[in-house]
Amino acid sequence: MSAARIVFDLAMVMAILFSGLMVINRNPVKSVLALVVAFFGLAIGYVLLFSPFIAVIQVIVYAGAILVLFLFVLMLLNIGSQPHERSGRPIQTLLGGASVVVFAALLLGTLRGSGSRIPSLSPENPAALSDAGILARTLFSGYLLHFEAVSVLLLAALVGAFVLARRVRRA
Amino acid sequence: MIGGIPLSDVLLASGALFCIGIAGALLRRSAIQIFLSIELMMNAANLTLLGYGASLPSREGQIIVFFVIAIAAAEAAVGLAIFVALFRHTETIDVNKIHLLKW
Repeated sequence: MSAARIVFDLAMVMAILFSGLMVINRNPVKSVLALVVAFFGLAIGYVLLFSPFIAVIQVIVYAGAILVLFLFVLMLLNIGSQPHERSGRPIQTLLGGASVVVFAALLLGTLRGSGSRIPSLSPENPAALSDAGILARTLFSGYLLHFEAVSVLLLAALVGAFVLARRVRRA
Repeated sequence: MIGGIPLSDVLLASGALFCIGIAGALLRRSAIQIFLSIELMMNAANLTLLGYGASLPSREGQIIVFFVIAIAAAEAAVGLAIFVALFRHTETIDVNKIHLLKW
């Protein structure tokens, strides 16, 4: 068992534990913070999968910007922890739980069934995969149009968020 | 093996994260926590893309994940704006108490 595998597995266990904590927690602020830790664990995994650029993006954009936006909205709206009360919809809860179990079983069965057919090629030159310069060259040559489309999308989302969250004055 | 990491470890971790995300999205009642669970599911998919990208080896996996993260940022901004508008209107983000479209 290589050192990389041990570190990867530990990082994934950390990510899974903290995302479980995120789902279980009743206080939304605590669950956002648990998800930040889970995303840091995922970022460690990304580094070991030869994607250090994506790992940095994950920490800066995901854990840094998106989840801080969540925290900001939670504190703006002053949403505390939900009181523990019966949902009043037992059938929906039961069906939801059952479908989670069925989905997990299906996924596990598929992974187990295709275990021998999962490709296990090793990259000839992993250093080339993790080079951000080569990644940027690929991005800005082959995917320039997509990149520009994403920038327009981000602008549209900015304007849309502003319009949605604006206080409507009733005359 | 990707530098000593078998691809099955990556897929197993990604599947576990996706299942936790589905459980959160289906069983929680706070709209914020449902949204967080959806973000978690998106990250599980990203992990699979990077795992296969490193294993093939291909740079396209990283490029797809880059675009997914950019779109996730846009989606989070719009989604949270919807929650702010909804909270102003109904004073709650409990999805069981929001039934404007139900008669």
